[in-house]
Amino acid sequence: MPRRGGDEDDDDLEPEEEGYFEEDEPGQLYDEDEEEEEEEVDRRGSSRKRPRSAFIDDVAEEDDEEYEDSDEDYGGGGGGGGGGRDKRKKTRKSGQEFFELEAQVDSDEEEEEEEGEDDFIDNGGADLPDDDGGRRIHRRPLLPREDEQEDVEALERRIQARYARSSHAEYDEETTDVDQQALLPSVRDPKLWMVKCAIGREREAVVCLMQKSIDKGSELQIRSAVALDHLKNYIYIEADKEAHVKEACKGLRNIFSQKVMLVPIREMTDVLSVESKSIDLSRDTWVRMKIGTYKGDLAKVVDVDNVRQRVTVKLIPRIDLQALASKLEGREVVKKKAFVPPPRFMNIDEARELHIRVERRRDPMTGDYFENIGGMMFKDGFLYKTVSMKSISSQNIKPTFDELEKFRKPGENGESDMASLSTLFANRKKGHFVKGDAVIVIKGDLKNLKGWVEKVEEENVHIRPEMKGLPKTLAVNEKELCKYFEPGNHVKVVSGTQEGATGMVVKVEQHVLIILSDTTKEHIRVFADDVVESSEVTSGVTRIGDYELHDLVLLDNMSFGVIIRVESEAFQVLKGVPDRPEVALVKLREIKCKIDKKNSVQDRYKNTVAAKDVVRIIEGPCKGKQGPVEHIHRGILFIYDRHHLEHAGFICAKAHCCVIVGGSRGNGDRNGDSYSRFANLRTPPRIPQSPKRFSRGGHPMDSGGRHSHRGGRGGHDGLVGTTVKVRQGPFKGYRGRVVEVKGSLVRVELESQMKVVTVDRNFISDNVVVSTPYRDAPRYGSGSETPMHPSRTPLHPYMTPMRDPGATPIHDGMRTPMRDRAWNPYTPMSPPRDNWEDGNPGSWGTSPQYQPGSPPSRAYEAPTPGSGWASTPGGNYSEAGTPRDSSSAYGGDNEGPYFMPDILVNVRRSGEDSVVGNVREVLPDGSCRIVLGSSGNGETITVLPNEMDVVVPRKNDKIKIMAGVLRGATGKLIGVDGSDGIVKVDDTLDVKILDLVLLAKLAQP
Amino acid sequence: MFFHIVLERNMQLHPRHFGRNLRDNIVAKLMKDVEGTCSGRHGFVVAITGIENIGKGLIRDGTGFVSFPVKYQCVVFRPFKGEILEAVVTMVNKMGFFAEAGPVQIFVSNHLIPDDMEFQSGDMPNYTTSDGSVKIQKDSEVRLKIIGTRVDATEIFCIGTIKDDFLGVINDPAAA
Repeated sequence: MPRRGGDEDDDDLEPEEEGYFEEDEPGQLYDEDEEEEEEEVDRRGSSRKRPRSAFIDDVAEEDDEEYEDSDEDYGGGGGGGGGGRDKRKKTRKSGQEFFELEAQVDSDEEEEEEEGEDDFIDNGGADLPDDDGGRRIHRRPLLPREDEQEDVEALERRIQARYARSSHAEYDEETTDVDQQALLPSVRDPKLWMVKCAIGREREAVVCLMQKSIDKGSELQIRSAVALDHLKNYIYIEADKEAHVKEACKGLRNIFSQKVMLVPIREMTDVLSVESKSIDLSRDTWVRMKIGTYKGDLAKVVDVDNVRQRVTVKLIPRIDLQALASKLEGREVVKKKAFVPPPRFMNIDEARELHIRVERRRDPMTGDYFENIGGMMFKDGFLYKTVSMKSISSQNIKPTFDELEKFRKPGENGESDMASLSTLFANRKKGHFVKGDAVIVIKGDLKNLKGWVEKVEEENVHIRPEMKGLPKTLAVNEKELCKYFEPGNHVKVVSGTQEGATGMVVKVEQHVLIILSDTTKEHIRVFADDVVESSEVTSGVTRIGDYELHDLVLLDNMSFGVIIRVESEAFQVLKGVPDRPEVALVKLREIKCKIDKKNSVQDRYKNTVAAKDVVRIIEGPCKGKQGPVEHIHRGILFIYDRHHLEHAGFICAKAHCCVIVGGSRGNGDRNGDSYSRFANLRTPPRIPQSPKRFSRGGHPMDSGGRHSHRGGRGGHDGLVGTTVKVRQGPFKGYRGRVVEVKGSLVRVELESQMKVVTVDRNFISDNVVVSTPYRDAPRYGSGSETPMHPSRTPLHPYMTPMRDPGATPIHDGMRTPMRDRAWNPYTPMSPPRDNWEDGNPGSWGTSPQYQPGSPPSRAYEAPTPGSGWASTPGGNYSEAGTPRDSSSAYGGDNEGPYFMPDILVNVRRSGEDSVVGNVREVLPDGSCRIVLGSSGNGETITVLPNEMDVVVPRKNDKIKIMAGVLRGATGKLIGVDGSDGIVKVDDTLDVKILDLVLLAKLAQP
Repeated sequence: MFFHIVLERNMQLHPRHFGRNLRDNIVAKLMKDVEGTCSGRHGFVVAITGIENIGKGLIRDGTGFVSFPVKYQCVVFRPFKGEILEAVVTMVNKMGFFAEAGPVQIFVSNHLIPDDMEFQSGDMPNYTTSDGSVKIQKDSEVRLKIIGTRVDATEIFCIGTIKDDFLGVINDPAAA
């Protein structure tokens, strides 16, 4: 565009003329005082016709201008010259150009009169007839408008200087309050009238009035007319009388003067007071672009032109140099709308390589040099762009650190830019200072004054200054204040991404604080505005859902770990992998449950380690670390070491890689015991302390077998460790050892299934009265426990007379046997288990001396068969003994009781024939609930074991095995061989040879 | 800063300790209970130096324990803001280093380490000046100024600075 270049040269040479072209621009005249406008027109003293057309032109052009603005923004060219403009626009423009040109000629004429320069007129005149040329001429003032704004500003300043002497000097901003008061309207002053006009024609109406006043001179008795941008449908006219207003409005079609309203004196000032909104925008404010390529981008205001409602902003350019190069070369550019170039600092050298013409020019205003590429101005890599105020948003701009960081980058001298962070607070939310806050003044005369907030009003904050010799309190605009912290302050973050965290201020960089977080011991960068001083110690969010920081949790994939950090939606979990620290980020739903078990393990030297015990790691990567155990799970310890900075201080280690330091806290002797020294002496950790610890059969320390078992029972529920049978629920019929008692629930380790189940305490019978003979039970094979029989002494029952059921039947009936033991002073001496095992009929069989004791018990067992006994499982020794009697019916085989559900029995009752019944349930005392009738639809009765016997199955009968390893299994009797039956087991289809006595006929459902 | 002050405490004693050695028992228990503890007001109790007096014991209802009001002199250590301390570096990482002055743990952030010292990672992480003349690593002894303290129930945590005149390494056993 050679032509353009030439023009620009011209412009540079003759800024004044250029300026006068610019004077025709929109806004400028309007935004100046009405009065001034009039004056100016008067001064010009030109013909009446022409100024009007100029005004009209202005109106028209302003609309156009705005359109242009937005168009420019959209195109992203930033006034990128004519190349990018589309045809439509050109044609649209051409019609109006005549107006424009006419106006230009007008002003040029004036110019000529005043300054006597005629270069331009010649040019313009020559081009005028030529449509094409005219367009170019027209474009010329428009284009430099972007580039050469400073010229305009220079001009404006000159104009300002010129009129400074004139009447509106009294509106000088420096006026004091008193002066302002004196200016307030009084009754003697002209009044303000509100007149209706056509919507959207407010300005036009006022301009017409002005024209009229020019035309008529003093005939028109109104003083002024005002149109407000924000008020539609009305204009204000200043006049002494209503009649004057009506007179003035007569003959103007835009004004409807039928209704003229007087504005009360008090409201007059409000009418003309300026909205404060636009004042917000000052230099160095952070704003965001609203439209165009840069939509959403952060920008910094470099210059504000309140008059023209335009601002110059500094942006990080989003320029596709390739596209720009081809565009400037005149090649066709394919517009890809979706593509927005990433923000990148302009590299001039790079541009030159692409043969993009880069001009370096000095800004006449600031004296700075700008690189000009295709009409865009760059400095230090930033794009300087002049946009309409409407196309930026300045409210609630919260630049992120990243954005600010970017903005700071090429400047190198971070100081000045960091200082401008203060402008961040220009639009912060209200109510942000509270009494007592330490603050620092960041703007104005009092800059760097420190003080404390005393009182907060709407906008103003009263502060008590730190410096002496100043008034007690000073009122400062809250925008000029910033919270002030010193290194070492303990603060809490109250907003932003780090909300909730606390820490100590390590460094203050202007308005950014660096905080050392209390929990993570990491540095956090926050704005001073976002924190308050606080002595509280938190880490921000510490829990999501049920899970809290430092909880031991079971993860989805059955791994486990400790929560070491709670993030906004996920947890960081240090997994229970001892060799290396493994941290996983897990979501809430990936956590299965919290592990809240209190258990203990053994360390390397077999000392018991419980939670809170201090251990030292003697092996592995964390060797040498020491700290209290926070969690124990599956032999893995989670140790908290406050010196360990990673993973929130948690270390994961295998139990046998650690040694306990000092005594164990787990014994409960430490706290609340005044002679804790003795406690320490007393607790050589190798001696088993807690009964609970030995509840597991596999405990290696449990060398004492059953004896230590019993010995530990003292304070604990005696049920633990006993062998019970489940008599209800899904595990009905199973036998097992009680592992733990939890309230009304009992955890039972099943003998047959190698698993631990939880059953209701009422659903177990712990005298195992209906179990198979012990010698057949698998537990004998396990060898983990010593058989109880040999340890028994025949005389034993007599040594504990209280145990004699005959002597204290009620006593026994009311109480569980283990209770007995707890109270019985003798029990610790005698092997208690044996004592209790006497309840086992199997053992009774071999202790004939006990027999004499049992007969009396019969007496009371008979009246209420099975009624009261069910509630006292195991308490009933006499009944327990009875099965032996019935078993003797089978030839003294001493194969004890074997009744079980779903078998057919013959019930023999005194004086009656035996009836076939179906065992529904075996009660804990050995009696059975039986449904009479082989089909199982008769009445239900409770029958004692000695009153019934098993229906012996025949060949091809379905049978149920009542004893042995296969107890409970069903099968088919496929043959009988003497006293043995050949059974095909249903489940496994194995063929077994079993004693016929152990087989019962299965009840057909 | 160290202070020698008199503090008071109620000691509860089990009846089994009554007898000729009652006083000894009380003192022994007091030492065990108090020494090494930390309170926000007084700081760490370093040592008990003497017993002022032991008041009359009061038998607690129900337990048989007797509580004696004991007044004792002790040396306490409490770090203050602005105090200059000498401390031993215990750990160095990229964010700064931790040092201990007796029971007090002090963190010196890298923002509070002179700018000419840079972090060198590796087997023995340290902060070194560009010419390598000064090195802060584990076990170095540093003189630092406390700029902030945080008092928890059982410990006092401080942050310190060595970015000031006459602060920094005073003795480096590793170099010797």
